[in-house]
Amino acid sequence: MGDLETGGQLGTEQLRIRLGASRLYVVTDDLSPLESLPALVEAAVAGGADLVQLRRKREPWADLVDLARSLRDSCRRGGAIFVVNDHVDLALAADADGVHLGQGDAPVREARERLGERPLIGLSTHTPEQALRAQLLPLDYIAAGPVRATPTKPESVEVGFQQVTAAAQVSRVPVVAIGGLDEGASAIEAGADMVAVVRAVCAAPDPRQAAQRLRREAEAATSWRWIRLNGESRKSPPGETLLELLARLGVERSGVAVEVDGRIVPREHLATEVVCEGAVVEVVHFVGGG
Amino acid sequence: MEEDGRLRLGTATLRSRLIHGTGKFPSAQVLAQSIAASGAEMITLAVRRLHLDGDRRSELEGLDLARYQLLPNTAGARSADEAVRLAHLARAAGLSDFIKVEVVGHEASLLPDPLATFEATSRLVAEGYTVLPYTSDDVALALRLAEAGAAAVMPGAAPIGSTLGVLNPHNIRLIIEECPVPVIVDAGLGAPSDALRVMEWGAAGVLVNTGIARAGNPVEMARAFAAAVEAGLLAHGAGLAGDAVEGRRGFGASTPAAGLPVG
Repeated sequence: MGDLETGGQLGTEQLRIRLGASRLYVVTDDLSPLESLPALVEAAVAGGADLVQLRRKREPWADLVDLARSLRDSCRRGGAIFVVNDHVDLALAADADGVHLGQGDAPVREARERLGERPLIGLSTHTPEQALRAQLLPLDYIAAGPVRATPTKPESVEVGFQQVTAAAQVSRVPVVAIGGLDEGASAIEAGADMVAVVRAVCAAPDPRQAAQRLRREAEAATSWRWIRLNGESRKSPPGETLLELLARLGVERSGVAVEVDGRIVPREHLATEVVCEGAVVEVVHFVGGG
Repeated sequence: MEEDGRLRLGTATLRSRLIHGTGKFPSAQVLAQSIAASGAEMITLAVRRLHLDGDRRSELEGLDLARYQLLPNTAGARSADEAVRLAHLARAAGLSDFIKVEVVGHEASLLPDPLATFEATSRLVAEGYTVLPYTSDDVALALRLAEAGAAAVMPGAAPIGSTLGVLNPHNIRLIIEECPVPVIVDAGLGAPSDALRVMEWGAAGVLVNTGIARAGNPVEMARAFAAAVEAGLLAHGAGLAGDAVEGRRGFGASTPAAGLPVG
């Protein structure tokens, strides 16, 4: 935490740990004047924003470098992560903590090659298939949305909380819910790790207070549990039993063995044993062998 | 151990002395046909993680596992603890107490770790498993495994997957003759003649995987191994003429036994 306090740059591993503990993700809007953004971001971070994304669709990225650098410094001082939207070039020029890409932007692999291993890469997903395909990419989080119709992206079709849940069920990386959210709890309860907002903070009369409220609501919500499942990070909804987990994976109870934290779970207990945070779960079956 | 020509291992009674491996077959269909052609009643399996996403098809999908006595192995274990854990998982997955203990001690050759094999065998016997340890051609170790409660011992003819045949016939034969429990020769049997030979010597059975799976025609080769195993069993029962010759495999100490400062 020393780096956070002194406003320094987090290392590759620390950055991901910080990401894992994040709940509130604030994205800048296109309506606020550029010169108002430093104060807005400072207020959002002071209120509890864990991540800030500079998203401006109208200005060319080259015009945003100085602003991005100043927002980056402000985020670092406040212990927040700073990413930019769409432009790997801007991320590199401003030494941002990462970049957020859409399905139509630079491919994730290409972005990773250019950025190196430290910066975070996030990807927007709008369908369960996109969320699943994203798991094979060298990225650090996925966004799922738009949960609700939003004036920020008028061309997008709202996909509801189902998309958040579908992404949570397959994701090995944190899931960020986005799209018309003005409350912290609902998305977290649907399986998201973070709530991303644009207007709920940027258009609020008091952005700091709005961030504070959203952060508090997200924190208080019952989140899904992160577990290790067959060596991979996976999420499990609150109260999910091992049998429900198997069913979700499309696995029948017969012919598999389930081990939790090194202990075999008898078949008759699968329906009653609930998956706990941090559980190391192994599901094995028979394969050919000599 | 044997009644009416049948082999008893734990709760299982086997007419066929050929145990059929299930790895490395070209397809699920060929595997199923090969097992059927071999007449095997016991098949080996391994325990592995289920793929979470994507293709879950398995080479075992064409088999009705309930029709066979399953012999899961602990392949992949590098220590006694790992072997015991895999045995627990195998029992939970298959609801059977049979386990082939296999603990590799040398990566390149996959030769077994004798100490870990012994430890895992002892522990699993104590837990009530029917344990069949895969072991080397070491005679004293085979005897110790029998003493530890192994239901059968499974000395390797040659390294796993090598199809080199019986590399140390003298030891394998000695194990067969001296071991108080059934001896099932495992690993390295490449040709039906290899299986025939050890059966003639009195092996209770053989386990064949690569020799069938990687044959030009696995199904026909399964039939050939079955015939060889059957012939060897008959030949041993009949008594080989050569076994009547005294001193055929004589051995004696170079160092005098008398005068040892004990007792």
